[in-house]
Amino acid sequence: MVHWDYDGPVLDIQNLSISFFTRLHEIPAVMDFSCVVQPGEAMGLVGESGCGKSTVALGVMQDLGVNGRVVDGSIKFKGRELTEMSDKELRSIRGSEIAMIYQEPMASLNPAMPIGKQLMEVPIIHAGSTKSEAYDLAMQVISDVRLPDPERMLTSYPHQLSGGQQQRIVIAMALMSKPSVLILDEPTTALDVTVEAGIVELVKDLGKRYGTSMLFISHNLGLVLEVCDRLCVMYSGEAVETGSIKDVFDRMRHPYTQALFRSIPLPGADKNARPLVAIPGNFPLPHERPPGCNFGPRCDYFDSGYCDRGDIDMAPIEGDERHESRCLKFDEIDWDKPAVAKESTEAAELGNVVLKMDNLKKYYEVAAHALFSGGAKKVVKANETLSFEAHEGETLAIVGESGCGKSTLAKVLMGLETASDGKIQLDGEEIQNTPIENRPTSTVSSVQMVFQNPFDTLNPSMSVGSQIIRALEIFKIGRTKQERQERMLQLLDLVKLPREFATRMPRQLSGGQKQRVGIARAFAGNARIVVADEPVSALDVSVQAAVTDLLMEIQRQERTTLLFISHDLSIVRYLSDRVMVMYLGHVVELGSTDQVFSPPYHPYTEALLSAVPIADTHVEKEHIVLEGDIPSAINPPPGCPFQTRCRWKSEVAGSKCETEVPTNNVLADGHYIKCHLAKSSLDRMVPVIKVAAE
Amino acid sequence: MEPLSWTQIFGQMLYQFIPVWVAIALVFAFSIRFKRKLGLYGKLFDSVIGMIGFGIVIFWILTALFAPGISLGGLTLVPSIATFDPLAQIAALKNKVPGTFAPNSEIVYLLGGDNLGRDVFSRMVHGSRLVIGIAPVATAFAFMVGITLGLPAGYFGGRFDTVLSFLSNLVLAFPVILLFYLLVTPEIQAAGSEVNLWLGKKWITSIPNILAAVLFAFPIIFFLLLWNSKFFTQPTKRNILVAISLVFGLWAYSGLAFNADPVSVFGMSPNLLNVFVSVVFVNSPTVFRIVRGLTLDIQTRDYVAAAQTRGEGSWYIMLWEILPNARGPLIVDFCLRIGYTTILLGTLGFFGLGVSPESPDWGSTINDGRKLLSIFPHPALPPALSLMSLVLGLNLLADGLREESLRD
Repeated sequence: MVHWDYDGPVLDIQNLSISFFTRLHEIPAVMDFSCVVQPGEAMGLVGESGCGKSTVALGVMQDLGVNGRVVDGSIKFKGRELTEMSDKELRSIRGSEIAMIYQEPMASLNPAMPIGKQLMEVPIIHAGSTKSEAYDLAMQVISDVRLPDPERMLTSYPHQLSGGQQQRIVIAMALMSKPSVLILDEPTTALDVTVEAGIVELVKDLGKRYGTSMLFISHNLGLVLEVCDRLCVMYSGEAVETGSIKDVFDRMRHPYTQALFRSIPLPGADKNARPLVAIPGNFPLPHERPPGCNFGPRCDYFDSGYCDRGDIDMAPIEGDERHESRCLKFDEIDWDKPAVAKESTEAAELGNVVLKMDNLKKYYEVAAHALFSGGAKKVVKANETLSFEAHEGETLAIVGESGCGKSTLAKVLMGLETASDGKIQLDGEEIQNTPIENRPTSTVSSVQMVFQNPFDTLNPSMSVGSQIIRALEIFKIGRTKQERQERMLQLLDLVKLPREFATRMPRQLSGGQKQRVGIARAFAGNARIVVADEPVSALDVSVQAAVTDLLMEIQRQERTTLLFISHDLSIVRYLSDRVMVMYLGHVVELGSTDQVFSPPYHPYTEALLSAVPIADTHVEKEHIVLEGDIPSAINPPPGCPFQTRCRWKSEVAGSKCETEVPTNNVLADGHYIKCHLAKSSLDRMVPVIKVAAE
Repeated sequence: MEPLSWTQIFGQMLYQFIPVWVAIALVFAFSIRFKRKLGLYGKLFDSVIGMIGFGIVIFWILTALFAPGISLGGLTLVPSIATFDPLAQIAALKNKVPGTFAPNSEIVYLLGGDNLGRDVFSRMVHGSRLVIGIAPVATAFAFMVGITLGLPAGYFGGRFDTVLSFLSNLVLAFPVILLFYLLVTPEIQAAGSEVNLWLGKKWITSIPNILAAVLFAFPIIFFLLLWNSKFFTQPTKRNILVAISLVFGLWAYSGLAFNADPVSVFGMSPNLLNVFVSVVFVNSPTVFRIVRGLTLDIQTRDYVAAAQTRGEGSWYIMLWEILPNARGPLIVDFCLRIGYTTILLGTLGFFGLGVSPESPDWGSTINDGRKLLSIFPHPALPPALSLMSLVLGLNLLADGLREESLRD
């Protein structure tokens, strides 16, 4: 292994430019990027998709593929130039001195090799250790990443572990050679919030213990706040602002950083009184960047003739340590001026009950064999005794992690599945046993859905207009072709898309625009209830706010009932009137947004609130990390579904939690939790999120 | 007279192919000029491999088209490529080497004569007509069958899928050549009772005939489902499309499957029907499996869920939401499969199961030439090389399409 004495910065990137070469032209992915990572420091790289943050990481690994090339600048690792190293030298550094952790844990592990063998390869190849040394090290690292039962872990295959466990193994593998730099590329994006919280804590802790420097790439400002010491905000291939967490979060000096913070729902934002400010326009494509400042066309402070004159360099900000901004006007801008408040709106009046669910149950039978229907049948209890009401014009948020049954709930409501038991009433009419093909058109068109993945929501082979027109035809709206054409154009107006988009194909649209088309399609038949399944979670931060606002605006106009499915509690707090928390098919808490977000909580809600990263340095959070993983719905724990991970369990006398499913414990009018905890215990709960006084 | 030298032979052949060269030049010039507007086809001209493949394939298609020449009312528009009638015999040129003149005449066999004194060059050129005529159509039929069954198998799953997948495995597990032999055996062809059809036409309920009746019905079913699922919201348009498909489909069906076309436009000789049925029958299970797999993948997409939640029928979702988005792999497979079919036709011809004993199709000609291969290799080589080049061209074309469809 190459080790040399050196005590400067571990990673020193100066004026790095990376381009990808295609048949037609050169596409600059990163331009004039500089950053320094000191030993033991955690550096965050933040930016939206396509801003070049992952390219920087690949540049450091010198793994740019056949098309990519470093065209300018230098990357020094411990004083040695990486761009000039031979393949052999690079091989000895990769994986031993610089290790990388990717977003998809399953894709980073070899599915055909037991975990232990994969881990032991690292020291055997890089340090020439013997098998037994490697085994001991693997055992130690596995327990360092807090995985239970290390011996069993080492002999199991990747697919036998959960997503969170897999990511811990990947981290363990990266740590096997005690690297100087660890690059984490969105390491928790594919994981659930409570699992994410555990990984983030682990990464922070390991960074301290091993003294590893980190390059932490994320689109989530809240996560970066929790993990990093310093950060670098990137926009369209350039670093626009860099500095310590505190400086950048509290004394930002670049309009993009400011706009970014204004477009994320922080505690205190409210859809009526303090709406989010979306960044206008779209991210420029790499070959269509404007002259001068890349952010210029979307910037509130843009000065034509000044900002777009030529390339802009990073300039240090006086008074702060190593805080730089790529803005010509940062001295002139009044940074403390509050955002131009969008007109606040009245909270909508709630109307009559539109949707009522009563003890809804949905069980699936899974046969052991798919081919021959013999063998023992297993029952998946996807939904257990769901009861709730939704009013006209109301936003009801359904919160929960994967496997909590929210998608099944949506399916049963839409009629794609029929209920096993219980009732669903739509305007007083029972629909739980009517599959969608037997529902009258009016019922079908009044319950519609907005989907999560913008790249999947539209049929790639059909133009935008014809997809909306198809929905109109099916919902029997408009008598002639012309009427439907006109109505389709009105719908495009409604979602604020130009009318020319009618003839475009979905691949010509950005993610946010596709999501708008999806919304237009859902509202085509004058929907009464719209189920929005994480409609903005796959979008970039700057686009999220615009799409959320659009959804709220249409809802207000049409007085639609919105069932907003999400795991992101910040956005739920921002836009919902009432919140329903689900865990393993049960509704564990239901109440108005204020009731749910303040104590007493259900223990799961408490953990969920604590797990959500918040991008605000003034917020203090109670630190609750849930142990273990979400149990499988095929084999749920007896008694209370949450008892395996609950930290309050000891407060309940006897083995009540293990044996009895709790009943609804009404705390206040319209607020109940499914929990055995006595009032005395509940009263001792403290708020998880506290906003410190400024 | 002295036989022609090889240079003269090749020069003469290049000259015979002039209409093809001109047409290829036109196609390429037009395609490259407008390649940015031609979608996937246009993208093909960005890849050298794709262009070579396309060039070879279009060469054989044009050869097939122009082989006997095209004339309109006595006016020759395109001169014939073939120098002779593929069945005409000149006894003096029996087994003669390439470039040999007939005694005391200007008549020359460019690639020599075969064991019956027929012109090898003309037979090769005319052979392309049979291959190019049968292979793509048979493959298209196999695709219709595979798609119409594969989509519901993947989409609904369950017992329907289990049964169909089992049947397709059964067909795939059965030795292909043996199956062909069975289908073309005269005993099997004659086994069955005679049924009287309209206009005094008769039909025998033999296995190949029944298979044809079943397999050829799928294209009609396919188009009926296609139109009805999409246009049921516009009854007039739906009725027109359905009526056109039904009239045309049933007309062709009566001719192809029952050889009972009232106006005798469509029809197949019993030999051709056997070849056609066999090729469709062994190809459709593979297509079925590909379509089923693609359906399983695509049906998890959100746009399929969106269609379900607005109450679309299952066939609309399968044919208009899933199928168009499976087109990439299917187009590539279509090209490859035409290649396999071409080889299959060759194999069938080689075993004497071809269209007719003296037909110039490449497989049969190779078989004819085989008997004297060690003494006279020239009758067998040209059709063998032709077959190889066409299949190679189709494979290169498929490669090019696959490569380009993945790129942006």
